[in-house]
Amino acid sequence: MNYLRWIGAFLLLAGLPFFLGSYYNDVYRKMLLWVTLALGYNFLFGIGGQVSFSHFAFYGVGAYSIVIFLIQLQLPLPLAILLGIALCVLVALAVAIPSTRLEGFYLALATLALAQLFVVVLNEGGAVTGGTGGLANYRLPEVFGMRIVGPWYTAVIVILLLITFFILLRLDRSWFGRACRAVRDNPEAAAAMGVDVARTKVIAFTLTSALAGVAGMVYAFVDNTVNPPIFGLENAFLILFMVIVGGAGRHAGAVIGAVLLFLLPFVLSPLVGHHHVLVFGLLVLGAILAAPKGLIGFYDSIRKNF
Amino acid sequence: MQDFLELAVSATASGCVYGLIALAYLLMIRPTGIINFAVGEWAMVAAFGGHLLLSRYEWLYWLGMATVVAFMLLVGWVTERVAVRPLVDKGAALLAPILALLGVLVITREIISVSFPPDPLPVPSAFGFGRLELGPVGGSYQSFFIIAVAALVFAGFWFFFEKTLWGKSFEAVSLNRRAAALMGINLSRVTALSFAGGAGVAGLGGLLVSPNVSAHYLMGVPLAIQGFTALVIGGVGRVEGALLGGLLLAFAEQFTARYAPIPSGYTQGVPLLLLMIFLLFRPTGLLKARA
Amino acid sequence: MKDTILQVKALSKRFGGLLAVSQLDFEVREGEILGMIGPNGAGKSTTFNVIAGAYAADAGEVSFSGEPILGRAPHQIAMRGIMRTFQHNRPFAGMPVIDNVMVGAHTRFKAGLLSVLFGNAFQEETEKRKKAESLVDFVGLGELRDADVATLSFGQGRLLEIARALAGEPRLILLDEPAAGLTPDELARLAHIIRGIAARGIAVLLIEHDMHFLLPLAHRVVVLNFGAKIADGLPAEIRADPAVMDAYLGSHAAAH
Repeated sequence: MNYLRWIGAFLLLAGLPFFLGSYYNDVYRKMLLWVTLALGYNFLFGIGGQVSFSHFAFYGVGAYSIVIFLIQLQLPLPLAILLGIALCVLVALAVAIPSTRLEGFYLALATLALAQLFVVVLNEGGAVTGGTGGLANYRLPEVFGMRIVGPWYTAVIVILLLITFFILLRLDRSWFGRACRAVRDNPEAAAAMGVDVARTKVIAFTLTSALAGVAGMVYAFVDNTVNPPIFGLENAFLILFMVIVGGAGRHAGAVIGAVLLFLLPFVLSPLVGHHHVLVFGLLVLGAILAAPKGLIGFYDSIRKNF
Repeated sequence: MQDFLELAVSATASGCVYGLIALAYLLMIRPTGIINFAVGEWAMVAAFGGHLLLSRYEWLYWLGMATVVAFMLLVGWVTERVAVRPLVDKGAALLAPILALLGVLVITREIISVSFPPDPLPVPSAFGFGRLELGPVGGSYQSFFIIAVAALVFAGFWFFFEKTLWGKSFEAVSLNRRAAALMGINLSRVTALSFAGGAGVAGLGGLLVSPNVSAHYLMGVPLAIQGFTALVIGGVGRVEGALLGGLLLAFAEQFTARYAPIPSGYTQGVPLLLLMIFLLFRPTGLLKARA
Repeated sequence: MKDTILQVKALSKRFGGLLAVSQLDFEVREGEILGMIGPNGAGKSTTFNVIAGAYAADAGEVSFSGEPILGRAPHQIAMRGIMRTFQHNRPFAGMPVIDNVMVGAHTRFKAGLLSVLFGNAFQEETEKRKKAESLVDFVGLGELRDADVATLSFGQGRLLEIARALAGEPRLILLDEPAAGLTPDELARLAHIIRGIAARGIAVLLIEHDMHFLLPLAHRVVVLNFGAKIADGLPAEIRADPAVMDAYLGSHAAAH
């Protein structure tokens, strides 16, 4: 592993916000979070072949749990983080283990129901979750006597992104990544080759859900507010769309899809107002019909021909 | 007791609507295996169509209803042609049209959202807002209308599948696409018809339920979830299953809302919980398909 | 006389009202090529799939190196050292040829997930890749190592099936009608490969419909008809066995 490249990437990505004003810094950090989520979702969906609508809900579980454990229950930060991860893992296992026998989109619908249930629980959670208004007016406590805000917090997000990417890249290039692809492409043949299909699916689901949860924990301190509408179905669809348009199965595809679909509303809003979702729908339909390998596939085929 | 019967009528009507949505799914899943999550948006389009023709332009109810359903048949056919046929012809995996239809879902919703004002819009009911008392059982005209229409539709489809040649060829495609094609059944015609029919039925459901809930561009997804839950509960194998599933779901929802000692917001969770439980532990539903 | 590696006793399997396999007894010995032949519908595929763990049996025993394996899931069977090919090629479409073969080696990887994430799993990855490359060469797909599996011809796809199964370092390999649909050149190459496999000490259970391909290749032959064993012995004996001729001619006659 070329560690210099990782350090270089960190310096570049984390250094940039110091030159951006606070508005652009905010846009930038949210984009990085979306890229992180998209990378994880790409592993689950693009590499593992599991359609899921709960990825964003786990983001929410992470976000809410860190606020509840850290701020409301006043637990120390490392413990709060561990508990949040544990919670994500437990919920993921509870869904993934019985789902192993479900085919394709039926799993997706179970995850959809999970995601919606999560929002219902949030709305009805009373004082614990802050109900429909959510939780706000909290801050990340001092870490080692320092208050991490602004571009320094963006550096934390960059670290999250790079660690997530590192984990996924390593998994992808190992027997596990191949096993996930094999299960995606032909589960019967995969089993004949010795792959424990159920176990592989459960691990992929649980791992990516936990990663989404950790991203959520970092997200909680970006706006210092968490509320139910953020974790609704819109964003669950959006993450799927990002990966499809960018190119499912390729890390670069996830990055491109996330950056494009995240930034597109900013560019389009003078033209179509709030209806950028229409453009997303058209892009997704177009991608599936005409460019199933996504934008990254398109880029590859251009490169090949020149 | 009066209260209970009142609720029972209302639940039956809701159950019929869910059943219609479930039937829409079923009509498309059986011959193609494609789960078309956009059925909710189709219901929504019909609701808006109802608002337009019946409320804004004040057409006669029967005329408006027939026009809306006819329009939905066209919408279904077009959807299949644009988003499904090219993929099936290319030999793409089953997941591809399902995801393409998610794109269609979003596109449909946004088109409606752009074309109409954002607040919920009224849709008139068939016979106005009066009440009907049939012995001990009472409910709104609309509730009874919904039940009657759904009964007709389900009876019609049951007859179609059990007794007619066309229906049997549908079945044949569900059981084995290749064999059916070899037998000379025109696969693309069956698929086109199944999508048209699905849209028509879903549209009918949307039109029937909208007087109570108003036409709103966000009404699609919750209906799609409820309809799919009804389908999973009843089982994909039989037309009656869709209705049974819808009724069970509606009764569970409304009786929980009324009698269970939990905060009302949690009742939204009932279909979701049922969906998860059935998917994870009894995905084939309650009714087995006929062998 | 070599040791028995796979022992099948009184195996029976029904599908609804149809008895597909009935009281089947046979064994495969270490390093030998055992051919299983019979007309269509004789029960060869069913037997194969029961051994591979794809179907459950209704009665009987199957043991591999003395250990009972009946009823185990396919991936467990692979872990114990039995690998299989599929009659209708089942490649992993989203991966190049070499990665397909490396999936076959799945059970031979020792590195756990933690090691993959934080340790030094790459050494094993490189070693296994070298082995996979030599297998790809062994079956004759050397130039197509990084090719997209969609570009492979049917015959090449069959070779991939075999290379992938061999990657699992099996002691017994199950070949499901590998000769079907191959050209005479491809058949000659296949026969050469199968002999090479047996020469490496790997036992081969070969299901074939085509007697002309199988009889010269196999060390011993088992003949099935209507789910039961009708003959068992050396190829020369089978060739001369009237019951066998009857079975094939009978099915031939019935078809006309």
